[in-house]
Order: sequence, then structure tokens, then C-alpha cells
Amino acid sequence: MRRVLIGHMDCAVGRRLVKALYHDPDVALVYGLGSGPTPSFLEPYQEKCFYQRLDLAKARHLTGFLGSERFARARFDSLILLPFGQENAAERIPGKVPALVSETRRLLEAARRDPRIERFVMLSSAFVYSPEPGNVNMMAEEEPLSFAADGDSRVRAWIDADLLCQNELKGPELCMTILRAPAIVTEAGELLHCPPLEYGTIPLGYDPMISVISDRDAARALMLALHSDQPGVYNVAGREIFPASELLRPARFGPLPLPRSLFGAVALVSQTLGRGRQQAHDYQRYGVVLDTSRAREALGFEPQYRVELRGRGGERQLDTVRYR
Amino acid sequence: MVDLKGETPALGCDPFTQTDGTLPYLLKLRERTLRVVCDQQEPSRPPPRQEARAAPPDLGPELPDLPSFDDAEELPGWLDRLAGVALDRADEERLNLVANMLAAHPYDALGLSPRTARRAYAVFKLLYRHYFRVASSGHAAIPEKSGAILAANHGGLLPFDGAMVVVDMLLRANPPRLARAIVDRWAGTLPFVNIFYSRVGQVIGTRENFRSLLRTSQIVLVFPEGTAGIRKRAADRYVLQKFNVGFVEESIRHRVPIVPTAIVGADDQSPVLYDVKPLARLLGLPVFPITPTFPLLGPLGLLPYPVKYEIQYGEPFRFYEEFPQHVVDDANAVRYMAEQVRRRVQEIVDRGVLRRRGKKA
Repeated sequence: MRRVLIGHMDCAVGRRLVKALYHDPDVALVYGLGSGPTPSFLEPYQEKCFYQRLDLAKARHLTGFLGSERFARARFDSLILLPFGQENAAERIPGKVPALVSETRRLLEAARRDPRIERFVMLSSAFVYSPEPGNVNMMAEEEPLSFAADGDSRVRAWIDADLLCQNELKGPELCMTILRAPAIVTEAGELLHCPPLEYGTIPLGYDPMISVISDRDAARALMLALHSDQPGVYNVAGREIFPASELLRPARFGPLPLPRSLFGAVALVSQTLGRGRQQAHDYQRYGVVLDTSRAREALGFEPQYRVELRGRGGERQLDTVRYR
Repeated sequence: MVDLKGETPALGCDPFTQTDGTLPYLLKLRERTLRVVCDQQEPSRPPPRQEARAAPPDLGPELPDLPSFDDAEELPGWLDRLAGVALDRADEERLNLVANMLAAHPYDALGLSPRTARRAYAVFKLLYRHYFRVASSGHAAIPEKSGAILAANHGGLLPFDGAMVVVDMLLRANPPRLARAIVDRWAGTLPFVNIFYSRVGQVIGTRENFRSLLRTSQIVLVFPEGTAGIRKRAADRYVLQKFNVGFVEESIRHRVPIVPTAIVGADDQSPVLYDVKPLARLLGLPVFPITPTFPLLGPLGLLPYPVKYEIQYGEPFRFYEEFPQHVVDDANAVRYMAEQVRRRVQEIVDRGVLRRRGKKA
């Protein structure tokens, strides 16, 4: 019987994951950590699902919990980290080390210290890959990660956390599984964790294709990883891919194609107006499409939800529909 | 079942946790501060007024929904109508067959859009029939359903040779197959070109893309000469350059045949008199050619001459039947196999060139 601790449970994927874990007879205890108030979706699952509000970005909060009697009594054997939960403006400041790296390190240390913990699953991002030139790039797990000096600070944090977890793949103590997921589409049609689309601009003459995955499929992949005895890095994604311009269309202003040379000027204006920093990263020009064959063979992962664009005009929005 | 509800969380340092019914110090402080600030800003906020709900105004009968800009996009545009004129019923049926085989709606896993491909096909079919007047033979070598690698010679500055093979496979192969050409990575960096290539089914030449196509039993068109094929001077026309070997490895790994494909005519469409290599390096181009028309006529000088094309498919190579899988680790063996393919393509090209010269004579 598994006893699972989830970092950043209070996010869209966490919601799906809790439901799946609750209905799993092999799971005895689900304990979520998150910086928000107790999520309302936990209400029906209170028999075996618990939540602790603490700021994972703060060392003393996390260390306090990991050293607590409650942590010891819960006798966790599996840890799931959903790093997408923590996103705030402070983390976008260039040069500042985002908390994800330090909290991943602390959780890994706790997992190593505690002999009962045998499994660690991390939901990483597909945008850690360094995209090759081209509208579509099929990315396998062996593709090099992006270490560009001018990279997005959040993506760099994902890469660092990913690398920390990859180090554990070599050791025999933990069964480490890293799942790299692309942009996540929620039931409400929101598109989460897609850095290329956050600025609403696309370099002129480019329209990269991007993989997407529904939040239910992401949670399902986590469940499969939790029960699998095959550690490793796996790409997980839905079958559909979309051009960035179409994914931006449901947004308020739609895509704004800009010549690449103008990105510097726009960056300055955008930063002055407090709308974040515009940068022409490689993933704004070149597509990221995941090759999921390894996850299909080793974990048995097959997407069950189709992502599609529905409606027309201003009411166009993303939707997830179960495959027949 | 574990009972943790009755326990007190052991988080002495956690300011968010309510331990004994009283608020911890930090929360108390925050609440007090907020109260002071709120009181200063809004000393006497009146209670929200309950407005009487007014009856909706009478605006007459409802208007029908008007199509938005996006609706107009969904409807067949002028490009689609033009494509409809250029394509006959048989063409449409063949395209539908291919689209159904790919199950690509609206995009396949490598960015192909059947709608864009249909438009492009309409244009290239006209070039195929009336500009390059393509003649082709040997379609029996093309598998009906399984995957295959078409290894062809490369020529001409703009890749019309690839486009003509793709159209030929759609028009003449039975059943029609969509050949996915592997294009140079450099093309992926070009604005607009990268989108066009992807939407009409061409794929950037990364190993993962290649494998993905073969795993899904598609026809892959490769030019193993690479850019060396388009760089060669007019004097070296129809002399095949050294072949890259990656396609042989993938053929063995995925157990798909290699169909040697000879294209006669492409080397005559834009004869290169000289390649200005330093200028090409400076501009980041694979080639900076001097041709009879370029750079004399500007970009128009790159357009191909209306030469007649001849495409011929040879007997397939099935190395995977002769050699074990691990032969791909032997560089010499793979090089030898690639050389065999090159020789076969060269033979077919030579025959085609001789035939053409004989006709002229």
C-alpha cells in the first residue's frame, strides 16, 4: 500500500492526481503540500487525502515539515513533485535562483535520508529541451537540454531540478522517474506552463508546433510512473500538436508576429510597462513535439484525451475530449 | 487506514498552522495591520445597495448570427477555390485517400496540414504536368502500405526535384502515397519556408523525425548527397556525390526497403557555373551560386528553366534481409551499403541521361 507525499498539490494536475490516487486501492495515504489554502477539490476525498499549507519556497517551512513528527508518522514511501505549482513574478527575475531547485534538493535529501521512501516521481517540462531549427522537432529523451545563457529563468530552474533528479537515476536508493510533459490543457480550456506563448508574440515567419497534454492524461502518466518499477526519463504528451498561433488565438489579443530584430526594443517597452520581459528564445521559433514511444513501451502510457480547438471567432477555446 | 486527523501537526515554526484555537502571532499581526490599513482607506463604506432588477429593454426580433473573421477562414478561401479548379475528381479522391491513411486532422505528428498540402499540390501538379512535363516509371517498387526510403539524387538550386517526386507519388503510385522529404536543417531556420515545408509534409532531417516517419510506415524521400548535390558545377551534372549513410542505418533498424530513385532533369534546371564559397559562408548559406541568370536577374534568376524531368524507381534494396541488425554499428559495412545504393542510382541516372541525349540526337 503506497503512502504518497505530493509537492505542490494545489495545481491543476494535482487536482486530477488526487482523484486518481483516492480511487486507487493500492494507495493508503495521500498527503499534499502547497502554498495556497486548502483546495476545495480535496473535500470529497478527506478519508485518505490530507493537505498541509506551507510555503515550499521557504527553507524553514519545508525543513520544519520534513523534520516533523507528522512526516515521520506518515511513513511515506513515494514522493511526487509537481513543480508547476510554484510560479510567481519573483521567480522571473533574472539571476535569482528560483525556489524549485532548492525545494527539489531538500525533498531529494529527505528521500535519501528516509529508508522507507523508495520512489520519487517528478513532473518536468518539455521546454527543458534545446529545440533544433525547424517548425517541428520530434524530441526524444536523449535530446540535449537547453543551456542557453539568455534562457528563461523559470525554464533554467526546471532544467536544474530535472538534472538534480537525473543524478538520482544512477544511485540504487531511489526509483526515480522523471516525466517531461508539454503545455498542459485543463478541463476549463486553460493552457498552462507553455513559456513560448506567455508573451503573446511570435517571431515573424515562424509558427512553431507545440505538443499539448490534457491535465487528466498528465495525472494518469504520474499514476503509471508511481506503480512502475522502471526508473528513467520519459516524455509524455497527447497525440495532437498545434501551431503556436492557433494556441494563442483563444487569448485576448491573438499572436503578434514581430521581426526577430525588434524583440530587443519590444523587450524594453514590455519591461517598462511591467508586462514581463520579451525575449526571442529558440522555443519561440522552433517547435517542440515529444516522442512518447519510450513511455508507451515502458509505462504503458497512451493518451486518453484528445485536445482540440472548439468554437469560432472570439469564443474559440481549447477543449479536452475523451477518445472513443 | 491511517488516522492523522486527530493529531496536532508538529510544525512549531509554521506560521500558517492554527495550533490551539488562537491565531499564531504572524497571522494576528497581519490581520491587525490589514484592519488598520483598510480602516484608513475606507473609513465608512456604505453597505452595498440592492438594486431593483429592471426588465430587459425590448429590442425587437433577434438578429441572425453573423459570421466572424475566423468563420470566413474556416470557409473555403480563394486559395481553396483555386485549388478546386486545378484538381479534378480523381485528384481529390487520391488526396482524400492519403489524408485518411495519415489520419491527419488538422495536423499530423510532424506538422502536415492536409488543407495546406491540398493547395500546394494543386500548384505543383500544374508544374508537374505543364512546366517540367514529368515522365516516370518503376512504381511497382513502391510498397502499397508499408514504409520505404526513396534514396534519390539531388540537383538544381531550389528543391523542385523533391516536389516532383512527391507529386509523382500522389499521381502515379498505386495506391497513392505521400512521400515525406527530409530537408536540410538549414531550411528550418528560414522564416516562412520552415512553416511551408512543415505544412506540406516535408520534415527537417533530425534522426528522431526520420525514425518517427518510419515507425508510422510512411514513405521517406532522402537526398543522401545533401547540399553537395546542389553545389556541384554544371560540368559535374549527373555525377553523384558521396552519399551520407544515415538512411541505410535507419533502413536496417526499421526493416524498410531502400528504393533507388533517379531524377533526370533537375541538374539542368539551374546549372551552377561557380560556387562563391566565401560569400556563402559569410551569408550563412549552403551555396552562393553563379548561374547564367543569377545574380544577373536577382532572385528571379533562381527560378528553374522549363526542363523535362524523368523519374525512375529502381529495384529496392533489402539489406535487413541480408544482414543482422547489429551491422549498423559497423561503419565500413554501412558505408559499403550506401555505396551500393549510390552506384545503382548512378546507373539509372546514366541510362536516363543517355536516353535523353539519344532522343535529342
